[in-house]
This record gives sequence, structure tokens and C-alpha cells, in this order.
Amino acid sequence: MLSHAPGDTLGHRLDPRTKLALQSAVAAVALARPTPAWLVVLTVGCLLALRGCGLSVRAVYAEYRGALPFLLVAPLAGALRFGPPWVDPAGARGPLLAVYRTLLLLALAAAYVRTTSPRESRAAITRLVPGRAGRFLGLGVMLVFRFLPLLQSDLRRLREGSWVRLGDERRVDRRLAHLAVGALERTFRRADALALALRARCLSWNPTPPALAFARRDYAALGAAGALVAAAIAL
Amino acid sequence: MIDVSGLVHRYGEATALDGVDLGIDDGEFVVLAGANGSGKTTLVRHWNGLLDPDAGTVRVNGTRVDEDLVAARTAVGMVFQEPRDGFVAATVGRDVAFGPENLGLPRREVDERVADALDAVNLTGRGDERIDALSGGERERVAIAGALAMRPDHLVLDEPFTGLDAPARGSVLERLCALHDAGTSVVVVTHDLRDVLAPADRLVVMSDGSVVVNDAPGAAVKRLAGLPVERPC
Amino acid sequence: MSTDTESVALVGDETVENVVRAALFAALTGVFSYVSFQLPVSPVPYTLQVLGVFLAGVFLGPRWGFASLALYVVAGAVGAPVYAYGASGVGQLFSPWGGYLWSYPFAAGLLGSVAHGTGARTPTGEVPLWRLAAGLTAATAVIYAFGTVGYAYFGDLALFADPVRALVSAALVTAVPFVPGELLKAVVAVLAARSERLRDA
Repeated sequence: MLSHAPGDTLGHRLDPRTKLALQSAVAAVALARPTPAWLVVLTVGCLLALRGCGLSVRAVYAEYRGALPFLLVAPLAGALRFGPPWVDPAGARGPLLAVYRTLLLLALAAAYVRTTSPRESRAAITRLVPGRAGRFLGLGVMLVFRFLPLLQSDLRRLREGSWVRLGDERRVDRRLAHLAVGALERTFRRADALALALRARCLSWNPTPPALAFARRDYAALGAAGALVAAAIAL
Repeated sequence: MIDVSGLVHRYGEATALDGVDLGIDDGEFVVLAGANGSGKTTLVRHWNGLLDPDAGTVRVNGTRVDEDLVAARTAVGMVFQEPRDGFVAATVGRDVAFGPENLGLPRREVDERVADALDAVNLTGRGDERIDALSGGERERVAIAGALAMRPDHLVLDEPFTGLDAPARGSVLERLCALHDAGTSVVVVTHDLRDVLAPADRLVVMSDGSVVVNDAPGAAVKRLAGLPVERPC
Repeated sequence: MSTDTESVALVGDETVENVVRAALFAALTGVFSYVSFQLPVSPVPYTLQVLGVFLAGVFLGPRWGFASLALYVVAGAVGAPVYAYGASGVGQLFSPWGGYLWSYPFAAGLLGSVAHGTGARTPTGEVPLWRLAAGLTAATAVIYAFGTVGYAYFGDLALFADPVRALVSAALVTAVPFVPGELLKAVVAVLAARSERLRDA
């Protein structure tokens, strides 16, 4: 699974907000201008981005290989016709470009995930989303990262246990309900303990803002993102 | 200073605290003992306003807890039993910073408090380590650092030795004594009196929601006969 | 040590509880997204992801159910491995399957409001069965509507040129094979809502 890895590449040094803006710009252009010419331009940009983040195309491919069959259904659906001749290859062209576009966006997302720590992401969210919503999302993202492995181990233990206790119970709904109820019990128990600790530690709406600052390279990158969007609008 | 007077707490029909009066002075080392269900955890959760009294009052440094929750929660630092679910961040330093950040302190002061708190629990320079990779005793000390970063007058620990082996127990206790020597008041809630009586100024024993013993450890121990606490060896 | 306590805006006790539950349900949905199973009636592998959406609506109510799944989407977008099979990243939101992710907050919110009404949350064990069933049906409809439209749009199935064909073929690919799985998850959600072991939740 692709996850954050510390490092000192250009990608690591960019502000997380810059990286989100770059992704958004590429996504907007790719959605608005899904033509081969624009996709070539974006491909060059994505390859540069991967390079700047120390990621190889091969590593990204390995990451998303499992998703490819799901994606490649789209051209088939596009070629389908409800009446003779039933299949029209020309209809597959748009979806095929859409799949390619998706792969570009997934690659960029992989570069973001690789170079951005949860803490930086949380800081970016807190800075980008104003007020209490930003506080909720920032704190929540931190808690999701923190509790995901704990709930995972809860569920693993439950599944191992349920094989023993429900060995004869074949009905899949009963099995899954047993799993869900066990997982919920543990989740509520952890939530109660955590809520108590957060109250004791003065959880507030107006904490010290996370330290984040744009450097010159961020302005350069934001300028590039702006130019890309402007060009897509103009051309 | 914590001042509890006439405190009553009920869970539905059951009375958990039945008119408790108790004072904790600044700089004291108090052991609060009693069997499971004697009301000791309920009692300490009133000191920082985690529970609301059914009757009676709790004052911290002269102010009623419900009148200034932030003051009570900064003055009384609390370390819960099994702190694992109380950590908010994946790494030590981020977690310890959580309390002071909530107070909105300038970043420089937050960093300073985190460094001081880690020093105080012998975890200097280990702020970037992952909490899940630590041992039980180290995790307990991270939880203590999280409370210390609020610069509390009183540090309250609920069953801090549960699940710790002898060396980890020793390392936690040694840190508590050092904190006490540095002037922080320490309250250890426990059902197990091994080792903790030596540094204590006072032993308070609860039974069925009331304080039944409240005395210097030497005198108090003589009155423990028949009470459901594990005696010091 | 004196701090200026006036300036600290404490999060209210009840809100702390809701925030924490919302965050942990987002994480739970992420954990469910790894659990896959197959049914004899369809060749596609199912994940329990949508069960997380259902449970958030049923147990957290409209506001916090919505908030929980919004958090799930945001956490996944910035790299928490919570999407199906542990995927993550902003790119997923614009992929042909991204419509599903966009739907989850709305589905959980709608389910919550049908089950609990928009006022105070009913204790989960006391929500009438018809409300659960109606809410689960509505939530499933929202998920498939977003999912199908999202597939036709992000997959460029000529949504605007030939909407009927685009939507029907998208539904054939993204919705129909998954219906049996959704039925099963809805049943599981009802069983969980009725569980004695979760009485106090």
C-alpha cells in the first residue's frame, strides 16, 4: 500500500496546499479538456511531478494494477448499444480517454500521498477550510489516521474469533451481523475513552494554528497551476 | 488546591459517592486507595469537571469547577487507566502538544512545553517516535507528559501501574517521585499499595462511596485491616 | 501556571462525543472497505464499505452521519488508506467510480434523517423497522444515483449527448451487479440496530 515516506525531494518540500492546488488544476483541465493533445501535455506534467517526488511509473502502476479491470469496463460500457449493431467501437473512444485521464490523476494522488505526512495534510485542511468545519475535519483526519490501525486489529481478532464460535453458522448475514456488532461495540468503547481524554485535555475550537508557510517554490508551482488552467480556458 | 465538600454522585439508582469531603493541598503526594467500585475513579473525575455532582461542590484553587472548566482542567492533569485510547496523534511529540495547542498558546511556547514535559518523563528527544511502537511503561509516561504539558498543579493518575511489569512500574514511580520533588502535587489512584506508600504524604481509603481512612501512611496502614486493598509487602 | 482561560472556546461535552464518534465511524468505514466477500449470485467482489455508511446513518443520525462520511471522504483524499481495498488520493474522487464516494455523506445523512427525524436522535434500538427500511432504501437509491451518474460523467459515456443510453449502460456496469450485496448489508444494518449488545449506543 502506498503511504507517506519521509524524504527531501522537491515534492516533500512543497507546501501541502500547493500540492492540493496542483492536483485540482490538473483534474479541472483533464475533466474539461479530455482531448489527446491536452492529455499529452498533462502526461508530461505528471511524469515531471512523479520525478520530483522520487516515484517511478512502475511503482505507481504496481499500486493501481488491481483497479485496472474496474476501470477498463468503462470503454466496454461506452461501446455498448441497445439495438443493432449492439457494439459500436467509436463509443469506446471517450471512455478510453477518461480511463487514461483517471490514471494520470491517480498517479498525481500517489505522488501527494507519498510526499505528504498526515500532519501536513491536517494542517492544510485546517488552513483551507474556515472555522469550526475546518477544526472538525482537521482533528477528524488526525483521529482517522490514529484509530484506523486499532480498529483494523479489532476486526482481525473478531474474524478469527468468529470462525471458532460461529463455525456452524453458515448464513452470511448472521456472520456479518456478528462481525458488525462486535466492531461497533469496540468502536463505541474506544470512542468513550477517547472522548473522556479529549475533554480532560481541553479540546477547543480555537487551538494554536498549525505551522505552515509558503516558500518561493510554492509561488512558482501555484503560478504554473494557474497558467495551466488559464491556457485550458483560452485554447 | 482541590477542595471537595459534601459531594454526591449517583449512576441511576446506585450511589457512587455518598457525601465526600476531602482536600488535596499543593505539593502533596496522596495515595487514593479502595476496591473496584468504591468510588475512587468517580471522585477524581469530579476534580476536572468530567462529571457533574448531584449534590455538593468541588473547588480548584478556590474557584468552583463548573464556573471555569478550562481552569480546572489545566490545574488538574489527569492520566486515565489504559491510556492507549486517549492518544490523539500517532507520534509522541504531536500527542503531547495536543493539550497546550488547545489552549491556543503561541507555537514557540507549545514546543517549549512539549520539550519540558518529555524531559520530565525521561523521553527527551523521542518526540518523533510512534506511540504504537512504545512499551507499556513508555506509553504511560507519554500520557503523563501529555498531562504535564498543561503545567498542572495536580497530577492525578488512575491505576497507572495496571499491566506494567516491575521495571516499567519502577520507572513510572521514579518519575512521579521526581515530579513531586519538583513541587507538583501527585495523586495516585490504585487498589494496589505496593511501593506507592513510601513516597506518599497521605493515604486516603474509600469504601462504598465514602472516605473511610484519611491519614499519614504510617498511621493509616494500621487501620487497613478488613478493608479490601492490597497491603504493602 | 495561569493561562488566560477566557479565550479558550471549549468544545461542549456532547459535541466532543459526537465528533469522536464521527471520526471513529469514518475509520470503521475505512476498515470495512478492506473486508471483501463474494455471493454466489454475482461475479463481483463486494466490500463492506457501504455497511459503514449505513451504520453511520443509523447510529449517528443525520448531522453526524453526514459529518462522519464527509470526514471519510476527506481523510481518504489526503492519503488515509480508507477507500475500497485500502486505496486513497484525490484522484479517486474524479475516477469513474468516484460518484460513489461523493454519495456517501448524503446517503448517511438521508438515512439518518429518515430513521431519526430531524429533531433529537432516537435511541437506535427504538427506531421503528419501517423507518429503518425506508431510510436504507433511500440511502441505497442515493448511492446508486450518484454512482451511476458519476460513472457516466467521469467515464465520459456521452452523458449529455445520449443520456438514456449512457445512464443505462453505466447502471448495468456499476449498479446492477452490486444490488444483492447492498440488500445483504441493509439486512446486517437492521440486525445491528436491533442488537441487544448495542442497547446503550
